[in-house]
Amino acid sequence: MSSVTQQRVTPAAEHVSASSGILLLVGVNHTTAPIEVRERLSLSATRLPDAVRTLTQQPGVRESMILSTCNRVEFLVWQEQDEGRGNTNLLRFLHEYYAIPASSVEPHLYEFRDREAIRHLFRVASSLDSMVVGEPQILGQVKEAYSCAREAGAVAACLEPLLQRAFSVAKRVRSETQIGSSSVSIASVAVELARKIFGSLQGKTVLLVGAGKMSDLAARHLLQQGATSILVSNRTRERAALIAGQMTEQISAQIVAQPNAPRCSIEVVAFEQLYEQAARADIVVTSTGAETHIFDRSHGLRLMERRRNRPMFFIDIAVPRDVDPGVNEIEGCFLYDIDDLQQVAAAHLADRSRESAEAEKIVTAEVEKYHQHLERREVVPAIVALQENAEAVRQLELARAAKRLGSLTAEQQAAVEALTRSLTAKLLHPQIVDLRKKSEER
Amino acid sequence: MTLLWLRLAVVLYGIASLAVLPAALYNRPRWSQFAIPAAIGAAGLHFVSLAEMLNAAHHRLPVEAHEVQSLLALILALLFLAVYWRHRSVSLGIFVLPIVFLLAALAAFRPGQESFSQPVHTGWVIVHIVLLLAAYAGLIVSLLASVLYLIQERRLKNKGSRLDRLPAVDMPLETIDQIALKTLLFGLPCMTAGLLIGALIAQADYGARYFADPKILLTFGLWIAYIVSIFIRRSSGLRGRRAVYLSSLIVLVVLFVWAANQFSVVHRFATP
Repeated sequence: MSSVTQQRVTPAAEHVSASSGILLLVGVNHTTAPIEVRERLSLSATRLPDAVRTLTQQPGVRESMILSTCNRVEFLVWQEQDEGRGNTNLLRFLHEYYAIPASSVEPHLYEFRDREAIRHLFRVASSLDSMVVGEPQILGQVKEAYSCAREAGAVAACLEPLLQRAFSVAKRVRSETQIGSSSVSIASVAVELARKIFGSLQGKTVLLVGAGKMSDLAARHLLQQGATSILVSNRTRERAALIAGQMTEQISAQIVAQPNAPRCSIEVVAFEQLYEQAARADIVVTSTGAETHIFDRSHGLRLMERRRNRPMFFIDIAVPRDVDPGVNEIEGCFLYDIDDLQQVAAAHLADRSRESAEAEKIVTAEVEKYHQHLERREVVPAIVALQENAEAVRQLELARAAKRLGSLTAEQQAAVEALTRSLTAKLLHPQIVDLRKKSEER
Repeated sequence: MTLLWLRLAVVLYGIASLAVLPAALYNRPRWSQFAIPAAIGAAGLHFVSLAEMLNAAHHRLPVEAHEVQSLLALILALLFLAVYWRHRSVSLGIFVLPIVFLLAALAAFRPGQESFSQPVHTGWVIVHIVLLLAAYAGLIVSLLASVLYLIQERRLKNKGSRLDRLPAVDMPLETIDQIALKTLLFGLPCMTAGLLIGALIAQADYGARYFADPKILLTFGLWIAYIVSIFIRRSSGLRGRRAVYLSSLIVLVVLFVWAANQFSVVHRFATP
């Protein structure tokens, strides 16, 4: 195991390991492994069930789950008592299942046990370990990995409560911090800004001027958010028709997937009619290769007049810019160019970093709570055994005494029963307290 | 006891006014969990206090300045809660709740001791007062929503590094604009009906001389200004800075009308 490998076994964790098994998490992520390594370990949704089953069949492994995303591949196992074997089972699995030499993966692997494994799982589910902190997809991916492992019969009494807790921790982090409240990609920032202006985008018209990957992406995001009319304009009408065709295909696919999704119309606007038609648009996305401004201040003023001051949002993704910065000075006109959008995205990212400190506190508290829960759970079998033994002795002694006591009335029987129960409970009490105390001390 | 309820309401309004700040300005929605229950509790106590106050004074209508202020504060608080219920946003509370707090505090800590002779048509006078106060409240909320619109507009226009200098508003521009217009539209029928009822009562009790009073003339001037402002807003889609100017002008006229109550011969608050 290389320098990235992390083994932090606390005394309490050792106790957990010794008595009921060990929780082990081994994996690679975007910080420890280059994409070449991650893609070798990556598992598609179709291969995942088989991989989980194979992992669970490894000697000593009781339960397991595999999380495979584009940024991480992690193996979470609950295995039998350590006995110094450590991650041997997992390394053997990696070697055999992937048919790759362990030495090519080992330098990139990290390993966490017990308390630290719990912490890592909670951090991953809460999106604190993600490349873009606070991104919402990871929780869904962890849930999918859990469903897959559960269907494969690889998740049971040990991992089930742990994963359920991980989901609730992630939910708590989302609801109690602002970690995921703002967008950090250009397209989603554009949509977020549009929502700040218009609220719901239902019934809004988007004008797409020019063609470009980013503007296309922004328009698709706006469509997904409910924009119901898209106007496409380009200097070459054929190109505009092509973009409109691609969007129509996307909408058709969306309608097949979601029959109740709102319908959207797509219309090609001749470039010569751009200024007449632009007043219809609430949102204008521009990304042409023009050397001069397509929309200048006078266009903005005329548009606002024709729209009777209804707000208009210009998203200018072109370089050089398509919209005169003076347009932003017109009341009711809002202009964001690519730098503005990037600046907002960067500010949101910084906000998320600040919020992550708060989220880390929640995770730490939750790890502690869960660990205490595990410790309490551990002494339960010992306490139950003690109580069962005492009850057996009580029953035996009662049976012996019954002959000597002769026939008792129902009231006398109840009194004897209560007396023996009380005596047993009082004798057991200090031992049970002592067990719990020792467990907590450990 | 009446004052105790009102003072408790003032404390709760104060809590709501403070709690709404982090909720609306610092994007901490959890603070709404304090602000909204506090505002609801305050409005409840406020209503009880007002009802008891009027009952104890042996009349059912607010006639003294502090009673009218108290009723206006209550209507404003209810309007704020209605906007919250509809849009789930506390942003308007940044402005409305401190105004409610001040109006209620004035009534709670400087109560009047009026002697009042029971007027005729008491029921209709109550309707007249409540309708006019509702119209004023609508106008005030509309002005505050316009200010909120201006803040949100500036914030969106400033972008980038200057983005955080203005307070965050958790409502979209269009929603704020709708609130500004709808509260204005809500106020007009209230004012029209209130004035009509008042005019009929005055005509029946005092005759035509009542309408020659400058305060009464100013009130009708206010009504015309109100109609003109709605017409301008609707026809030209007035928003932002100019909408604030227009609403401010109307509120200024309202303040004149309010102040004229102190000087009018035929229409004034009851005197201590």
